[in-house]
Amino acid sequence: MTLRTIAAGVLVAALCAAAPLRAADDLAAAKQLVIRQCSQCHTFEKGEKHGQGPNLFGLIGREAAAVNGFVFSDGMKEAVKGKVWDTALLDQWLTDTLSVAPKAQMIYFQDDEKVRAKLLRYLESLE
Amino acid sequence: MSNDQAKQGKADKSRRGFLKAATAGTAAATLGAVTLDSKDANAANFDAEYDVVVCGGGGAGLPAALFSRWLGNKVAVYEKAATLGGTSFKAAYWYWVPNNAAMQKAGIPDSKEHFLKYVARLTQPQYFDPNHPRYGLSEWEYSMCEAIYDSSWIGTELLSEKGALPYRHVAPVPDYFAEMETIGATGRVLFPKDGAPSMSDGGQVATRTLSTACRRDGVTVRTSHRVQKVILNDKGEVIGVEVKNDDGVMRVKARKAVIFATGGFTHDPELRKNFLSIPVYGGCAAMTNEGDFVRISSTLGVQLRNMNYAWMCPISFEKAIAKDPSMIGCFSVAGDSMVFVDKTGKRVVNEKLHYNELAQKFFEWDGANAQFPYLILTSIWDQRAQDNSASHEYGRLIVPPGSDDRHVIKGATLEELAANIDARLQKYAGQNGAMRISADYVQNLKATIKRFNEFAKNGKDLDFHRGERGVDLLFNGNVKEEPNRKNPTMWPLSDQGPYYAAFVTGGTLDTKGGPKTNPEGQVLDIEDKPIPGLYGVGNCVASASGRAYWAGGGTLGPIIGFAYRAANAAHKEPVRS
Repeated sequence: MTLRTIAAGVLVAALCAAAPLRAADDLAAAKQLVIRQCSQCHTFEKGEKHGQGPNLFGLIGREAAAVNGFVFSDGMKEAVKGKVWDTALLDQWLTDTLSVAPKAQMIYFQDDEKVRAKLLRYLESLE
Repeated sequence: MSNDQAKQGKADKSRRGFLKAATAGTAAATLGAVTLDSKDANAANFDAEYDVVVCGGGGAGLPAALFSRWLGNKVAVYEKAATLGGTSFKAAYWYWVPNNAAMQKAGIPDSKEHFLKYVARLTQPQYFDPNHPRYGLSEWEYSMCEAIYDSSWIGTELLSEKGALPYRHVAPVPDYFAEMETIGATGRVLFPKDGAPSMSDGGQVATRTLSTACRRDGVTVRTSHRVQKVILNDKGEVIGVEVKNDDGVMRVKARKAVIFATGGFTHDPELRKNFLSIPVYGGCAAMTNEGDFVRISSTLGVQLRNMNYAWMCPISFEKAIAKDPSMIGCFSVAGDSMVFVDKTGKRVVNEKLHYNELAQKFFEWDGANAQFPYLILTSIWDQRAQDNSASHEYGRLIVPPGSDDRHVIKGATLEELAANIDARLQKYAGQNGAMRISADYVQNLKATIKRFNEFAKNGKDLDFHRGERGVDLLFNGNVKEEPNRKNPTMWPLSDQGPYYAAFVTGGTLDTKGGPKTNPEGQVLDIEDKPIPGLYGVGNCVASASGRAYWAGGGTLGPIIGFAYRAANAAHKEPVRS
């Protein structure tokens, strides 16, 4: 093995290592943003008590407006009946909650796609 | 490069989008004011420009923004939290509007004199004089209260006509002292039209309708944006604000005015400790209510007023210590077979006294022993109250099965309950002055219950007069129907367990002090002159109510009046270029 291939190998290894590191950094930043924006009302750890809003652990793939121990408004239940939280629905929800459920209790709108992507990044990791 | 060029270069850097703040969103913001000289104050140095900039998107800010917009102004709202509504989102959102249009239509009389005497009697009980030209109020207080009477109903009607806040008139709701000396009234309370019959969810409905109207009518709304400085020109006029968000800091020009509506200082322990006259553990205000305007305006030579008082309510001690953002004040103390006792197991207060007045009891000072003996009281109830009075509404401590009941202490017998209460108290030794129950607690508690049960049977509370006033009944909450019961606020506690308990203390809904404004919402300097371009509305500025809580909705109704007046005065400001 030449010096050059060793160097290339090191470089490749470094790049491979950097990718997950970056991902971890992104996730940490996303978490920080979610905590800052959403923790007034929501909790995120498995088994944590609900706040003004429901606990969000395992949100993706969950039936909308159906969590044990949390009382959803009739307006929310009617609007999302039969829906399941997926990335598309969650993105629409964060863009403008009232566009999904006109009588939702949660009033949040975020027209910045980058911010929504960060929020989704963390919320999708909660499983 | 000349000095001027250097300055311009510096300014250019700041206007190119955002100044990258390395620790945006994590470090404590520097609040205050910054003065730009005439060169830097030109339009090119701002990232955005509006006629009116409203700081805060809650119960004061959203109406102020809408009123400003409807006058034809270009308006932006900058809200520090990620969502709109502020404290009012959590509120029941009753709003108290004297001589409102519904009263006028129904022919319910409510004269200005009648109103002013009522607020004077409650605001300054020690100076009240029905024969004095201002009934004992100061000139400032009188003019502020007149403004409430003159403008709240007009603002209310406008919000309703525009579909921003349609209401229903809840004619039977009395003022909290409606029976007082013929000066109280019934019929002043309005409630968001689509709110629940129990009238507990008005804040969610109002935030929805107000924020929808803002977006419909072209108000720019930015959440997660904290206003941290006002910007002055070299004449001392307010011409904008510095706003921080996750990306950094930007400058926003306000051609006519900046209206602050950023809430009180409930969640700033330093301001609380130094200004409030009582040692509260916290309160129910939005967590972002950290006294920003007190700090920002401190550099401007304002007059702080009414800093010692707050809108008060009993709260869960444990939720306050946990800084639970979902905490709602105990507006309605639930249960008939329920008592509050002190650390010796004795009753000390009418548990159904309405919230602002009940909350004062916790801060009674025992001079001989140098302590607040009632700082934390314990609510105790039986299975009957648990089964019939549990609710998610109005911050009740008796909650339905399956909900968050970490604040509830249980015991199969009174002895077991007492032991568990004492153990729970010890968890908070550093926060409650190492409070413990007394050695004779169980014995006293049994005697207390025996005496209370006699009162309940006869429908007459000889010690604290529970249930004797109309307002006690208004907030009684759900209780089991009992035919022919004389006093629905009381029922004997069972002699069989299980028993339940929760710690209660006094808290703030939010504080009610801040810079003094005139009735147009203009913030006044130390010579009582308006600081040009600077307005304040709501709990971020001084309330003229002293310690009083005039009625349900006594916060929000007046705020709508002041938002209306501030928007109209701001509209007439000269355009500052």
